Amino acid sequence: MAEMVLEVSGLTVCREGAVAVENVSFDLAAESDTALIGPNGAGKSSLVQALLGILPHRSGEVRLLGRRLGRKGQLPSLVRDQVAYLPQSFGVRNRCPLSVAEFVGLGWDPAGIRFNWVGGEARRAAVRRALAKTHCSDLADRLISELSGGQTKRVLLAFCVVRPRRLLVLDEAQAGLDSQMAEQFYGLLFDLRRSEGWTVLQVSHDLEMVRRTCDGVLCLNRRLCCSGPPDHALSPSQLERVYGRGFVPYHHRHANPSS
Amino acid sequence: MSEAAPFLELLQLPFMQRALLGGLLTGALGGLLGSFAVLRQLSFFSDALGHSSLLGITIGILLGLNPTLVLIPFAVIFALLVSRLVERSRLPTDALLNIVYSSSLSVAVVALSFVRTYQGNIQSLLFGDILGVSWLDLGLISALLLTALAYLALTRRDQILLTIDESLALSRGVAVPVHRLLFILLLALVVAISIKAVGVLLISAFVVIPACASRLVSSHFNSYVLLASGLGALCAVLGLLLSGALNLPSGPCVVIVQLLGFLGALTLAPRQGAIG
Repeated sequence: MAEMVLEVSGLTVCREGAVAVENVSFDLAAESDTALIGPNGAGKSSLVQALLGILPHRSGEVRLLGRRLGRKGQLPSLVRDQVAYLPQSFGVRNRCPLSVAEFVGLGWDPAGIRFNWVGGEARRAAVRRALAKTHCSDLADRLISELSGGQTKRVLLAFCVVRPRRLLVLDEAQAGLDSQMAEQFYGLLFDLRRSEGWTVLQVSHDLEMVRRTCDGVLCLNRRLCCSGPPDHALSPSQLERVYGRGFVPYHHRHANPSS
Repeated sequence: MSEAAPFLELLQLPFMQRALLGGLLTGALGGLLGSFAVLRQLSFFSDALGHSSLLGITIGILLGLNPTLVLIPFAVIFALLVSRLVERSRLPTDALLNIVYSSSLSVAVVALSFVRTYQGNIQSLLFGDILGVSWLDLGLISALLLTALAYLALTRRDQILLTIDESLALSRGVAVPVHRLLFILLLALVVAISIKAVGVLLISAFVVIPACASRLVSSHFNSYVLLASGLGALCAVLGLLLSGALNLPSGPCVVIVQLLGFLGALTLAPRQGAIG
């Protein structure tokens, strides 16, 4: 039986007083790549934020690597360090004077109070490796606030890969990227997932990319409408259940990211 | 030689030495906290806090207590109430802060006009009286500087993540509400303790200008924070020396030197300047 990295049972999440996600249950097996799809306002971002403890959950249970997530997002730091998150929008506030290497180093630093003003050789080596893996070595001394959208996404991946992780959660990672940049990003993600052994949960609107790259699909419209392999979950009848009658999926043109 | 002699004699006076030390510590403290406050868009918050402090001082005078001692709890409570109000209100933050500081300033000035027994000088409240800084004030500023340094150094990772993106910080397990609250408290204490030296109207310059100047020429976070703090200290000392040499008001002289530092940074960094 495959190891479960994420177990969700009867999860209900509220946002600004209203129920955003209701009674959702699913599991993610180790090293699987699962897409979370649904129309705008379906509660996808609320769900992933609740899974990471960014948003508190009202009821139900979330287990990450076997450890229960507290209702207000409490999680042992040893478990938290094995989970990484790429937010939907990452606008570095007010042109913060933070170099790419400094930012990636923050992904290496463990949680908690410690004096780590400069960092040791192990940290610097981990940052160099992460930048090389994500083809960002030439960006090390650039300010993250001055990067393009595609460069920022790669640097965020470096932030994730700087330390060994088990679960990577992406919230619309393709947002703000043109089709060529999205292609390159997914190619890099595909390679890293295989080499790092990541389990991936990604919110996506790109159903064609989901069909070609993911092992499983969760269809959400406040409740979980359907789930399963892409052939089943992305069939016209299931998509109509999620998006409503007359839904016609828009297809980007992509090359195969694994090729 | 004969022109420099009175100035050198001035430097040997205990009150001037205390003023220079006070300026050095206040400037460093303002630059240190300002480097985070500016990036977190709290510049106007510190300005509002400074202006509203006059109300705290007035309450102290009305109660017949030492205004500095009343100001510390006043600034802390005021900062907590205002930050709560900003979080809960649907109004734009700058508009809300404007209402808070202009109304509290007005109430304070009207209340002060009724206090016939007040012996102090309103100008020293508005623009500061760094020459009147006592050893007790220096002790308080030193303790606060050490506290701020220890807090920011030990939680460096959390502070930077919180500064650049709150959802990313939360996902990494950063206690965002706790750190936000602690920083606001620290900022309130800095404003309360520095008011005597810097004045109600100029306190936000100590927080904002060195940080902005440092931001213009820094490409790494550590150097940005250290430079902001260093610039704050240097500008304060130079401003006080200028004030002593030319017999000009001390607080405004410091701010003018800070402005010169900012303009210098602007010309040094035209490629990534504030308007570029």
